[in-house]
Amino acid sequence: MATSLTTKRTIIGIASIVLLAVLVIALWKETQRQMPNFKPDPIMDAGTKHCISCHSEKGVGKVIAEQWKESKHAEVGVGCLECHKAEEGDVDAFDHEGDLIATIVTPKDCGRCHMDEVEQFTSSHHADAGMIMGSLDNVLAEVVEGHTAFNNGANPAAASGCWQCHGSKVALLMDSEGNPVKDDKGILKFDPKTWPNTGIGRVNLDGSKGSCAACHNRHHFSVAQVRQPENCGKCHMGPDHPQIEIYNESKHGINYHAHREKMNLDEKPWIVGEDYIAAPTCATCHMSATPDMPITHDVGDRISWTLRPAVSQKIDASTLAKYKASGEAVPEDFLTWEDRRSNMQNVCKQCHTKAYLENFYVQYDNEVNLYNEKYGIPATDIMKAMKANGMLTSMNFDEKIEWTYFLLWHHEGRRARMGAAMMGPDYTQWHGNFEVAERMYTEFIPELKEMIVEAKVHRHASEAREVEAMLTTLLNSEMHQWYIGKMDPEEVKKRKEESAKFRERYSTD
Amino acid sequence: MGLKNWFKESFPVDTVALITLTSEPIPNHLKRWWWGLGGTPLFMFIIQILTGLMLIFYYVPDPDKAYQSVEYITYTSKFGWLIRSIHRWASNIMIAALLLHMLRVFFTRTYRRPRELNWMFGVTLLLLTLFFGFTGYSLVYEQMSYWAMKVGTGIAGATPFIGPWLADFIRGGSEIGQNTLTRFFLFHIALLPFITLLFVGLHLYLIRTLGVSELKFPGDEKAKKKTYPLFPDHVYTEIIVVTLILILLVSLSLLFPAGLGEPADPSVTPLHIKPEWYFFPVFRWLKITNLNVGVLGPIIFIFLLYAWPFIDRLFEKKFPGKEITFWIGIAGFLTIMVFLVWEIFGH
Repeated sequence: MATSLTTKRTIIGIASIVLLAVLVIALWKETQRQMPNFKPDPIMDAGTKHCISCHSEKGVGKVIAEQWKESKHAEVGVGCLECHKAEEGDVDAFDHEGDLIATIVTPKDCGRCHMDEVEQFTSSHHADAGMIMGSLDNVLAEVVEGHTAFNNGANPAAASGCWQCHGSKVALLMDSEGNPVKDDKGILKFDPKTWPNTGIGRVNLDGSKGSCAACHNRHHFSVAQVRQPENCGKCHMGPDHPQIEIYNESKHGINYHAHREKMNLDEKPWIVGEDYIAAPTCATCHMSATPDMPITHDVGDRISWTLRPAVSQKIDASTLAKYKASGEAVPEDFLTWEDRRSNMQNVCKQCHTKAYLENFYVQYDNEVNLYNEKYGIPATDIMKAMKANGMLTSMNFDEKIEWTYFLLWHHEGRRARMGAAMMGPDYTQWHGNFEVAERMYTEFIPELKEMIVEAKVHRHASEAREVEAMLTTLLNSEMHQWYIGKMDPEEVKKRKEESAKFRERYSTD
Repeated sequence: MGLKNWFKESFPVDTVALITLTSEPIPNHLKRWWWGLGGTPLFMFIIQILTGLMLIFYYVPDPDKAYQSVEYITYTSKFGWLIRSIHRWASNIMIAALLLHMLRVFFTRTYRRPRELNWMFGVTLLLLTLFFGFTGYSLVYEQMSYWAMKVGTGIAGATPFIGPWLADFIRGGSEIGQNTLTRFFLFHIALLPFITLLFVGLHLYLIRTLGVSELKFPGDEKAKKKTYPLFPDHVYTEIIVVTLILILLVSLSLLFPAGLGEPADPSVTPLHIKPEWYFFPVFRWLKITNLNVGVLGPIIFIFLLYAWPFIDRLFEKKFPGKEITFWIGIAGFLTIMVFLVWEIFGH
């Protein structure tokens, strides 16, 4: 069909106006995009649309659907099934609205896209946090504090306490015949003794270890949330490992709270010194990238001491001992404590001089060695000797001195060491060294003396003499002799001189 | 000497030749709206050059940085999403328009003497455009890009006689890596545009020298003149087509902006690898045959496409008036469509 020139001119005019209109819409969209807090529309495939519409209509999980819409996942089209889909044969798989899905998303699922992160995490100490089951801490929760047979093994002290951070061993709910229980909608139910749980060392039904959601809260999966210190503070807090309290007391924490709005916590890739300069967070030092070091999800990659046990060791010591015992060659990519310290110093040097951080590590090493040599090693040796010779029963926590010893290393001893590691002076001093000393001199040693006397009375003289000899050696050692009035005369003189100077300085009597 | 005269002297223009050039008589059948398919790919090509130049400002052809740079273009840079989306949609429209243009030429048999060579130039332009598409989506360096490169270069490696050499040449070695990306980048932004411009020039030159083939439609006999002027009549038509395409491109980019898949990971094979839709028929063919037959099929198909004007003449001579080539064309077209649909819905 031929068209007249006039008609053509009219079409050109109308088409030009329409073109202008769509270009204005594009301009408007770009302006919106440049606005702070802009979030693009979520990308949803048919599967995700189906999930969202149903969950939103029925109000079940409506909020988490809305959270997902604001997430980076939604922005790039990673929908519900990308994470929740299950494979035929998975023990926790069930059919839901025509799709085979699983309720719990494990690191194995996340690893379909985040391969490096999951590989690093799986080899970290975080992933092994579930190994606590059967340890001294867990005996406390399961036996001393709680009761394993309580309410059909509900074990509340462990399930609501320890395992919420360390991770549970997830199990399906079984009926009396050993078959998995489903609700009226066909959804598989989990054993409430083991789930809900997002503990970082959770043992999952697919054999994987851990839970990415321990740090990356569902369903926002916000990088800002995961980088802020409060995130780590969910577990790294309290009397036995007060890292968040120490951080808040430190200059690092003070700067963070003072300049939080300048932290650019949403920035990618969030390199210290490039994307932010205000303060370091836990993530900065232990995980995030520096200009010449990549991010890691193995939180042990930058740690040189292990501050957790009764006696601190260099972090590679136990693994190296295992290699030595088995005769197996140490892998080439094995990170020694020196490598790990060098990694941490890579972060420190972004703000501090070489001289500063070298001296810091001298101070830190000295504090750990002081605790080890003055308190940790002798107290542990004495406790081991008493366990071995029968002065203590094989049961833990049934004798007072066991509580005393536990508090000495597990609470106060850790606080002193961690305070030094993270530059929280009050935690090193009053919550740390002071309380370790108080525990040692006012409880551990007096209780030990009493036990020695009692053992002698109850015809355990040889065992008592063995421990008495250890105590005598300890008290006569250079660090403890002040306690029995044998302080070195030179030291006594020096103390007196210092005291006189102090009185003179402040004109006090 | 005034500025006007100085310019005329410095830049002499043959006004007579210019008038002749813009007054080219156009056959009446081109007044039909759907006859602008040959110009559409050319316009798309211009769009691709312009948007492509803008994308090069930020794109980094390095396996460690390519994906990040595309991510930056898509989510951070100003209007990056729009430029990239237009580039992506224009590539699709360019290929679709080329295929429709070729179908029109095929079924109207305008490739016949003396236009055989121009048909062959057209086939070459189609192949170049497909190669543009392949190298283009490989540069994104997402999972699909990487595995498309892997599959694509693997197929090239199965070409008879020259396969291993060809695959190594495209990859720049035995594995996909920095060399491959550098080569694909070079093909996409320099080599292919240069060769394409050359063939577009030859194609247009032959259209102008041989003239557009005149087709008769019912009603055309009534017209007093067999032709109509290029300017303004046909130019208006082209302006309308170009404006409508621009509206379409911006609208598609607004509604369906180019996204990003997962970054390339050589250690993880995706569950389902799918190339762009225009490779679907070949991909399905490769799935149902073994690699050697699979590669031979497209090679034979391309050879037949090139030789088609001569095959057509041969059939016409042997079976005059039987329209055998028309039915072969229909059968070929339907086969390709079946393979396309099969791949869309099949696994």
